[in-house]
Amino acid sequence: MELWYTHLMRETIDQDSLLVQGNRACALGALDAGVRFFAGYPITPSSEIMEVMARELPAVGGVFMQMEDEIASICACIGASLTGEISMTATSGPGFSLMQEAIGYAIMAEAPTVIVNVMRMGPSTGRPTTPSQGDVMQARWGTHGDHPAIVLAASNVADMYRLTIAAVRFAQRFRMPVIVLADEIVGHMRESFSPEIAGRYRLTSGDFDFTETYIHPEMVREVHPPHELGTLIHPHVTGLIHDETGFPTNDPKKSEQFLRELHDKVVHHRGELCLYDVKNVGKGRVAVVAYGSCARSARAALKLAEQEGIPVEVLHLYTLFPLPVEIIQELARRVEFILIPELNLGQYAREVRRLAENWTTVVSMGRIDGNLITPRDIVDRLAELVGKYESA
Amino acid sequence: MAEGESSVAEQEPSVAEPRTIDHYLHTDRFPHIWCPGCGLGTVTAAFLRAALELGLEKDRTVVVAGIGCSSRAVGYLDFGTVHSIHGRALAFATGIKMAHPEFTVIVLTGDGDGAAIGGNHLIHACRRNLDITTILFNNNTYGMTGGQASPQTGMGGYATTAPFGFDEPSFDLCRLAEAAGATYVARGTSYGVRQLQKLIRDGITHPGFSFIEAVTQCPTEYGKRNPPKGPVQMLENLKEKAISRKKAEGMTPEELEGRIVTGLLHRDESVPELTASYARMLERIRKSADE
Ligand SMILES: Cc1ncc(C[n+]2csc(CCOP(=O)(O)OP(=O)(O)O)c2C)c(N)n1
Ligand code: SF4
Repeated sequence: MELWYTHLMRETIDQDSLLVQGNRACALGALDAGVRFFAGYPITPSSEIMEVMARELPAVGGVFMQMEDEIASICACIGASLTGEISMTATSGPGFSLMQEAIGYAIMAEAPTVIVNVMRMGPSTGRPTTPSQGDVMQARWGTHGDHPAIVLAASNVADMYRLTIAAVRFAQRFRMPVIVLADEIVGHMRESFSPEIAGRYRLTSGDFDFTETYIHPEMVREVHPPHELGTLIHPHVTGLIHDETGFPTNDPKKSEQFLRELHDKVVHHRGELCLYDVKNVGKGRVAVVAYGSCARSARAALKLAEQEGIPVEVLHLYTLFPLPVEIIQELARRVEFILIPELNLGQYAREVRRLAENWTTVVSMGRIDGNLITPRDIVDRLAELVGKYESA
Repeated sequence: MAEGESSVAEQEPSVAEPRTIDHYLHTDRFPHIWCPGCGLGTVTAAFLRAALELGLEKDRTVVVAGIGCSSRAVGYLDFGTVHSIHGRALAFATGIKMAHPEFTVIVLTGDGDGAAIGGNHLIHACRRNLDITTILFNNNTYGMTGGQASPQTGMGGYATTAPFGFDEPSFDLCRLAEAAGATYVARGTSYGVRQLQKLIRDGITHPGFSFIEAVTQCPTEYGKRNPPKGPVQMLENLKEKAISRKKAEGMTPEELEGRIVTGLLHRDESVPELTASYARMLERIRKSADE
């Protein structure tokens, strides 16, 4: 954690209690994870990430580029990635939309990179400084064609740091782009934070140590070997469907095999990729599944609900995609209903519903007025639902 | 040639002789997708002869292309090659060059790829003056998608999307590149291959952003709708229209109407190259940290 230390020295008053902004924590996580190439285009509410990178990357010999738009930003990141560099970009909704074609290219060409999307209200310019979780399905399905996706969601400042590290590691290991979703609250909020604090957040999925820095990828069978330009192999990289040689193929069998491999490398490693935390396992008759800033409210709601006589289980998801199928289905078997608070019209609730509906009822609690879902809101809704299900 | 089509290597790989352009070709990928009489192979060969002259190392050279018939060239080249997405080759190349300034980075692009969808990246790449050599294959049309109008189709040109004649003027791509800050600007044609080879060679050795427009023929899509018909006639037409920069100097705009001014058009070595100035900035930061 030496790097971390130097980055913060400049603004440290008391090293044990630092007030760090979420976007800043994200940039620090990136630096600690070994990101040495950043290209971006300013957009609220994500700009601080690129501003920190502009300051800090040169100090560690990295490259920072402000590009002419978000398309150029992600393309430059992919270009750098193809030479073996660890790259990242950050944006918000409008810029994220512009990046979609290139995200598909990175999936197809198996080029690792990280895209942080600090979500704003949309569509279009929407409300730039207003929190939202409206890009969940875009993160999953934004680019065209059948494709896999790895999407993480940060709920606080510590998450911004550690999930950025996780994203870099997943990207390198699975050789594909990884998307980190944050919302304006998480991006702009300041909290006391240190890497030790980040390490203190234990996950139920437990096998991921966020204080660990970047480790070179170990290759698994389904993952294609990296193509590093400028090596003795002089590879060909293309967005066309290609075979193991890297050159295009029109062979139906090989085409299907290739596309399936792209999916399989993610699906077969779901256990490793799905980061989550459950509170009150098996103690609640009802459950809340939440991510991002809503997960924070859900965690707070847990105590409040208990005081009011509603035992509730909270599943906090850090990985939205690949879908944590087994985790959600196990939960569904235990509880009478699942409530999903999110700052959209139920984008993730729809995913959970199709996984859980054989065993339980999934209730969406969406909010799109730009305000937060508070712990009180969640408890009130839980009380209503409990009443309804008990009287039924 | 339809998009998504690729040649399947069924031929025996030919024995690469070090002093021919085969040295830089994946001949096992032939036959290539280009139509008979197409000028794209001619321009590619001019580039490869320039590469031979310079002795470009395969492991230290990265060739990046966008999407289009012209961009398909990278599928046959034995360098590190990136067949990127439509219009964005220069953005990919920017990342590659900034991450690895020691690589020789070449961009192959079309008039649609480089001047329409990728126009913004082109002017910004010129402005940054990164040491990248861009060869823009100008065939006045969108060949790959079947002969639609490109910004370079020109007033009165015919295209599937300009059935009554195109009513928009074209760019003078070289003047555009110069105005945007490119520090080496040249134009050649697929008729004048020796000149083109030399222009490309000098562009590669130029320490800064080099832009080379290679005017070439697409007999299948452009030639089908615009006179003269046929590859030979189109090449002769290029020969007749081409005029060296020197000769053009004393001529009026009216006299130059419809002519293709070729040769080195602009060169400026006083502008700092980006990877070099970035390295100097890193050095400055390192020094101030040491103090
Ligand atoms: C984003 C996007 N839009 C459209 C296309 C379809 N497309 C493929 S090639 C091409 C035009 C290529 O024209 P040009 O660059 O002039 O190359 P040429 O084929 O003439 O060599 C287009 C529009 C695409 N691949 N991607
Ligand atoms: S369509 Fe035109 S540009 Fe494309 S390969 Fe054929 S002749 Fe060449």
